[in-house]
Amino acid sequence: MEQENSDWPLRAEEVEDSQPAAGHGYQVKLEFFEGPLDLLLFLIRKKKIDINDIPMAVITRDYLDYLEKKDQINLDREAEFLFIASLLIYIKSQMLLPREQEALAEDDPRQQLVDRLLEFQKIKVASSLLREKEEVELQRWRRTFRPPLEKPDELELLEVSLFDLAETFFLIMKRRERENLRIIKGKDVSAEEKLKEITDYLEKNGSMDFLDYFSSQDSLEEALVSFFCLLELVKNHLIVAVQEELFQTIRVWLRKDKTHHQFHGPSHE
Amino acid sequence: MGQVMNNQLKAILEVLIFLSQEPLTLDKIKEVLGEVPEEDLQAALQALEVDFSQEGHGIQIVQAGGGYLFTTKPEHDQWVRRLLQIEKKTRLSIAGLETLSVIAYHQPVTQAEVSAIRGVDSTYSIKSLLQKKLIKIVGRKKAPGNPLVYRTSEKFLEYFGLNSLDDLPKEEEIAKILEEEKQTIS
Repeated sequence: MEQENSDWPLRAEEVEDSQPAAGHGYQVKLEFFEGPLDLLLFLIRKKKIDINDIPMAVITRDYLDYLEKKDQINLDREAEFLFIASLLIYIKSQMLLPREQEALAEDDPRQQLVDRLLEFQKIKVASSLLREKEEVELQRWRRTFRPPLEKPDELELLEVSLFDLAETFFLIMKRRERENLRIIKGKDVSAEEKLKEITDYLEKNGSMDFLDYFSSQDSLEEALVSFFCLLELVKNHLIVAVQEELFQTIRVWLRKDKTHHQFHGPSHE
Repeated sequence: MGQVMNNQLKAILEVLIFLSQEPLTLDKIKEVLGEVPEEDLQAALQALEVDFSQEGHGIQIVQAGGGYLFTTKPEHDQWVRRLLQIEKKTRLSIAGLETLSVIAYHQPVTQAEVSAIRGVDSTYSIKSLLQKKLIKIVGRKKAPGNPLVYRTSEKFLEYFGLNSLDDLPKEEEIAKILEEEKQTIS
């Protein structure tokens, strides 16, 4: 920690890597900064400036110098750097404008920027502390396999999150995309009926392969409704949805302790 | 409770922790064991932790992710990697770690809020953290566009060896480090 503290503590590695015998001090490339605030903090430290009293003219010049080192601007990445550049120039101009009364402390145009920098600085320290923990944890190995389990309703496989379900949903939607263009059906599908169909099926058969079920639906609309029903059932903790790996099929079971729940028909509403 | 009973309890706890798929919580232990006085349980768990921390054991019991689990000791890392033929474990990227820190300290939080704090568009980092299951979606914010709201997950705690969010580096700890840095610079 001692050694790291000396120059740019939280990024010691990158700083070293970035100057292969170039020899002109701290010529760190823009690519080595995670973002504009990172660069700004670096410049402030380099000049040993008090973060609460930033000389705008100096720091704006330094910052722009950095941007100008680039021959061409990669807009995707550097738009954020340019945004902060314009903010710096704006603040600088605000400070140059004559005022009728002496500005109050809270009117300091720099305040918002300072707050952001302070917050960002904290996040950087927190990141480095988490990095240390990560380093230790990566050296502590744990078992990852699961003991063999028998019956499906005793399975404790990882339950899938709604996020996983949604990812899978997009996958199966793609598969059905084409037929959507051709088939027009007038049949209305009610969510209540679908819910009942799914829960009945589960009560009878124990579990279902949701991808198969989804594909076997007559129309896209029906397939959609059945997916919403699945989401609804998961949300209400009536069923367990399990996926061994992302993009694989989803297996669905009724929750053992919840089978007494009624979810049958419109009368439920 | 006699020594024999105490040893028996310790042995049972060892088994439970060994077989548990997730960090074994105190609640789960109580659910399995039924009526065991809280202080006996605590004493046995502590004794077990001490036992394994002795030299001569390569495995230890740690508290992380809200419960107890077995892990190897860090000093044996190289042997495990040799066995499994793994060169080095992948670490989170700087952007990922930074994004994760923002979410950890500001949760529940939206993508736009994270991006504003970092000064960098964080859409990609968030997506990648979601896939690693280090964060989770907890709902939508009642604001224009109903943006998704994120929190850190149980796996986040386990990944960093934290028992709960209270174990995150504290505000004072961070302030102290910043103060020390300031001293060394000026």
